[in-house]
Amino acid sequence: MKVSDLLQSRRKDWSELEMLCIQFESKRTASREPERLTRFAALYRSLCADLALAEAYQLPPEVTRYLHRLVGRAHNQLYRSHEFTVSTWARTLLYEVPQQLFHDGYLRLAFCIFWGAFLLSAMLATSQPGFAEAVIGAEQIQMMEEMYDQPISEMSQSERGAMLGFYVFNNAGIGLRCFAFGLVFGVGGMLVTFYNAVSLGTVFGHMSTLKQWENFSEFVTAHGPFELTAVVLSAAAGMRMGFSLINTGGLRRIAALQRAATQATPVACVGVLLFVMAALIEAYVSPAPIPYGYKAGVAVLSAGLLMFYFVGLGMPQEERP
Amino acid sequence: MGVMAPGNHQLDTSIEIVTPENVSFRYHVAGPFRRLPAFIIDVILQILLLGLAGIALLSVFSFFGVTGVFLGMGFWFIFWFILSWFYGGLFETYWNGQTPGKRLTRIRVIATDGQPINGLQAVLRNLLRAIDSQPFFLYQFGLFSALMNNRFQRLGDLAAGTMVIVEEREWFQGILTIDEPEALRLTQLIPASFQASPSLARALAAYVQRRLAFPIPRRVEVARHLAEPLARRFGLPEGINPDHLLCAVYQHAFITEKSAQADTPVSPFQATDSPVATASPPVNPQKEDGESPFAAIPTSEGSQP
Repeated sequence: MKVSDLLQSRRKDWSELEMLCIQFESKRTASREPERLTRFAALYRSLCADLALAEAYQLPPEVTRYLHRLVGRAHNQLYRSHEFTVSTWARTLLYEVPQQLFHDGYLRLAFCIFWGAFLLSAMLATSQPGFAEAVIGAEQIQMMEEMYDQPISEMSQSERGAMLGFYVFNNAGIGLRCFAFGLVFGVGGMLVTFYNAVSLGTVFGHMSTLKQWENFSEFVTAHGPFELTAVVLSAAAGMRMGFSLINTGGLRRIAALQRAATQATPVACVGVLLFVMAALIEAYVSPAPIPYGYKAGVAVLSAGLLMFYFVGLGMPQEERP
Repeated sequence: MGVMAPGNHQLDTSIEIVTPENVSFRYHVAGPFRRLPAFIIDVILQILLLGLAGIALLSVFSFFGVTGVFLGMGFWFIFWFILSWFYGGLFETYWNGQTPGKRLTRIRVIATDGQPINGLQAVLRNLLRAIDSQPFFLYQFGLFSALMNNRFQRLGDLAAGTMVIVEEREWFQGILTIDEPEALRLTQLIPASFQASPSLARALAAYVQRRLAFPIPRRVEVARHLAEPLARRFGLPEGINPDHLLCAVYQHAFITEKSAQADTPVSPFQATDSPVATASPPVNPQKEDGESPFAAIPTSEGSQP
């Protein structure tokens, strides 16, 4: 058997597979004809056999290299990424995430850090004059005070659409950054959480001592539950990743990190969803000229929804199929 | 005998993948500087998209007055948010591990076990850009991480269990042929029973591939070391051009028919449905289209019992 004859006889199949690869690379999965797909699979299998025996047949190195590349290319077309489907999304968000969060120690830790730092700095800002200026700067405080000088009902209404987008961009961005920074052994996430909690707490504490408190509290009530929960969730997701590098659970560090990151990513996505809902409320309910009772009602409703999500859906239940 | 070099020690940037078909093949992982052009293309594309979206949104929403303009701005911010955090994740999910920049530069993200990435991995590795790009958004963390492991994974890749590979494309060039008449004449002098060992065949192929880049005296100098023992073994007279002799042995090994192949194992190289398939004996009723290349028995050597 001549090598050149071998090549000549197989070459037709190889170039056919090459052509199919080119077609598949530029087409959507759904628009592929079944006959071509089966032909592709058959050609790919015989190409794999060719590669497996390339050395036995003493093919020249450049032919072997060509075969390696063609197998790699066809492999990437045959085994494709799984796209998102609505049902897996729904199952992850409504079943797996709350079930996981119910037992999540990092969520409790993030909760304690956030609320501990928040309440502590709020107390300090209330009782210690000068604390707020030292933490967030006199300029910022000046701005805050001017912002809440006028009653909520007199706020400009036309720019709410822009504020909605800005709240999503800014707040969800902070949340995701908090998640990503958690990777640094959990410390990064803890620091970011601590920083957020201290600055928020200081603002709350400081505002409570001023005459603007009424306007301020009316503004923040409605979106508070979603937004503050989202901050804690993002931080908890980041810490889960970061601490998995320390508490590996007997796995290699990389494997522990990969497992934790797979679990933490949907949690961070739930955080983003909460940020989006908070932004909707913050843009359209919080500044609306409606009685305070309605805004408090929205806050109670969203807190109830969160309770249902974390406790109602999170309660350990039997594995659903 | 396997295709792969034995052991796990990695000499260059190639990574071995074993497919479900139980064949292993090699990928080259893409290093930071192979990935940089793709990254720059993606950044430029993101900026362009952001600008275009701004113009489009403002021009549409300005019909609705001041409130409309602000609403357009709001959508623009949301678009910015999605673009900056989920651009890579969405493209890599729906484009099978590629962003536009990666597609143009022919690199692809795959899982470290060679499987395609799923949506979760794609989103995760791109969310973690936030830490990889630190400090100062110059990607020092990512670069450091990539240099510390043998798959050039940045932190996002490590957490998601992914790597970026080069997807080389190459048109089949066929096998190099010799057309010097002196070399072809020498082919007749090589004993028909001579069969090149695998390592000799490899060396010959490498030599023939590169010889045209050398001037003739240099070719002689390189080829002498192999040609002289071969000439002695074949009982050839002194003074044969070593370059031509190696070409002749190459011709013999790869192109001229070999006679000592009676012990050839099962040949997979019977074409699945190409005309050559008619050369296989009709004693293979189970042979399907491209299905079982192992079913074909070579007949050209007269080795059929």
